[in-house]
Amino acid sequence: MTPASVAAAFAVGLVLAILFFLAVTSYNAVMSLRQRIDKAWANIDVVLKQRHDQLPALVSAVRGLMSFEQDVLTDVARARAAYSPTEPIPEQAAHAEATSRAVRSLFAVVEAYPQVKSDANVLDLQNEIERIEGMIADRRELYNDQVYRYNTRISTLPTLLLVPFFGWRPREFFAADPSEIPRPSTDL
Amino acid sequence: MGFVPQIALLAGAGIAIGLWLLVRGMLGYRTAAQIGDTATSRIATLAAGEVQVSGVIEPAELTLISALQSARCVYYRSTIGPAGEYPEVAHEFEEERAVGFRIRDPSGNLRIFPRGARWDVPTQFDDSTGLMGDEPPGLAFRTGPAVSTAELDRATAIAALTTVPTSPDFDPLAILGGISDRYGRGSGQRRHYHEARLEPGDPVTIVGRALPFSDLADPAEADVAEGSLAADDPEVTGDIAEARAAGLLAGSADEAWGNAAIPGFGIGRPTRAPELDPAARPFAMASPTEAAQIERRFAIAPETLVLASAPDMPLLIAFGVPQVAVGRQQGRFIVGLLGAILAIASAMALALMITGTITR
Repeated sequence: MTPASVAAAFAVGLVLAILFFLAVTSYNAVMSLRQRIDKAWANIDVVLKQRHDQLPALVSAVRGLMSFEQDVLTDVARARAAYSPTEPIPEQAAHAEATSRAVRSLFAVVEAYPQVKSDANVLDLQNEIERIEGMIADRRELYNDQVYRYNTRISTLPTLLLVPFFGWRPREFFAADPSEIPRPSTDL
Repeated sequence: MGFVPQIALLAGAGIAIGLWLLVRGMLGYRTAAQIGDTATSRIATLAAGEVQVSGVIEPAELTLISALQSARCVYYRSTIGPAGEYPEVAHEFEEERAVGFRIRDPSGNLRIFPRGARWDVPTQFDDSTGLMGDEPPGLAFRTGPAVSTAELDRATAIAALTTVPTSPDFDPLAILGGISDRYGRGSGQRRHYHEARLEPGDPVTIVGRALPFSDLADPAEADVAEGSLAADDPEVTGDIAEARAAGLLAGSADEAWGNAAIPGFGIGRPTRAPELDPAARPFAMASPTEAAQIERRFAIAPETLVLASAPDMPLLIAFGVPQVAVGRQQGRFIVGLLGAILAIASAMALALMITGTITR
């Protein structure tokens, strides 16, 4: 083997090592991203379930004090009943958004009832649900950010070159299709 | 045809440096992927598990005083070596320290335990002595202890400002590894100083595992004596009882550490009276408000989430917001690719010289 061929082999070996490194790093990065998306989704699911469990307590706490606002309470109960953790993500996002909207409407109505607003039990439940709503918003943002990073990675070089071999597909954002969000009826 | 030793040496150095840059660049690429592919969580709604947080550093109980510039910091790495060739390799003095700190974002703050962390910290001081042996501006050797309280009370602050800690014949370099003899005036050797550090207020990005404080492994197993570790294991409790009977294990923290077990002792004001030599000057005791502050500062609720290294995931602490940290690492990768080109070119030059294409 001549020195020139040794040098050529060194050059080819180095280039191959860099390509192999990029392929392995890209594959591992995609796997990590998928795991992070699944974890972010599981974290959203936890708080959605918490809210689902808390809402009946709030509704029953205010029901007796707000007998003239049955429509608002019915909206909350209906939105809660639509929650299903096995649904596709856009449907879950639509129901989550509808539930948040119904809860906000309920809190707005509560403001008009001083005796409800000052009830300690209602106040505690309201604070807890507001805390959960904040967590849902933050974790949804985190999930969407993670999905954005995943979708960007699999659509850019060098990872794009691996996509045909592994069949990676873009993930869906936790965002409701506007047409799927149930709108409250306005009766002027 | 002829073998030129100088060219061979240069080519060999080119291959070695090129490969070193390439490996460094590859590590940078991995770090960039780790930071860039992790969404940044808000501290207030942090969930347990792998997370990335970004914010500014706040000191916790203690801060460090850096070795070369006496700056308050939570991490530093200081080196002193010969100026000129290979300053990063031939260190005569090297010191790296870190203390726990907090990171704050607009939503809250989080406690960081940096044991075993990987640090990506830019250089804050990089200079050499002059040709006449004069020290570079900005050099301010640490002359006191390396650890300080995070919040100086009024008396300590006044004492720090009004005390001259050095005598005229004080030689800080003698303390920093006893290297002054090798670099004395007239020795002809120049020193190179290098210090990287993270200070309170610096922006930082951290990737690691969030876990409840109670799940954090106690490296010194200091909680054995408290009975919280495997207290229900008869073998462990038997061993502990045996050790206590043999006098190897103290019955309580107070018994084992004496005054040092009192919160605030030695790094502020003690919350209760220490046992002192009757001839010693008595300590000023903490007021009830201060005592409550000290207790709060040192107490961490078991369910509080903290960030720490895990066996499968060391903590990564990088200076700057995520975009800056990723950009720095991507720059390293580009330099690494240039290093690969340098290594290949050097190998080609060496081969051509050996085959006789390159002659004097």
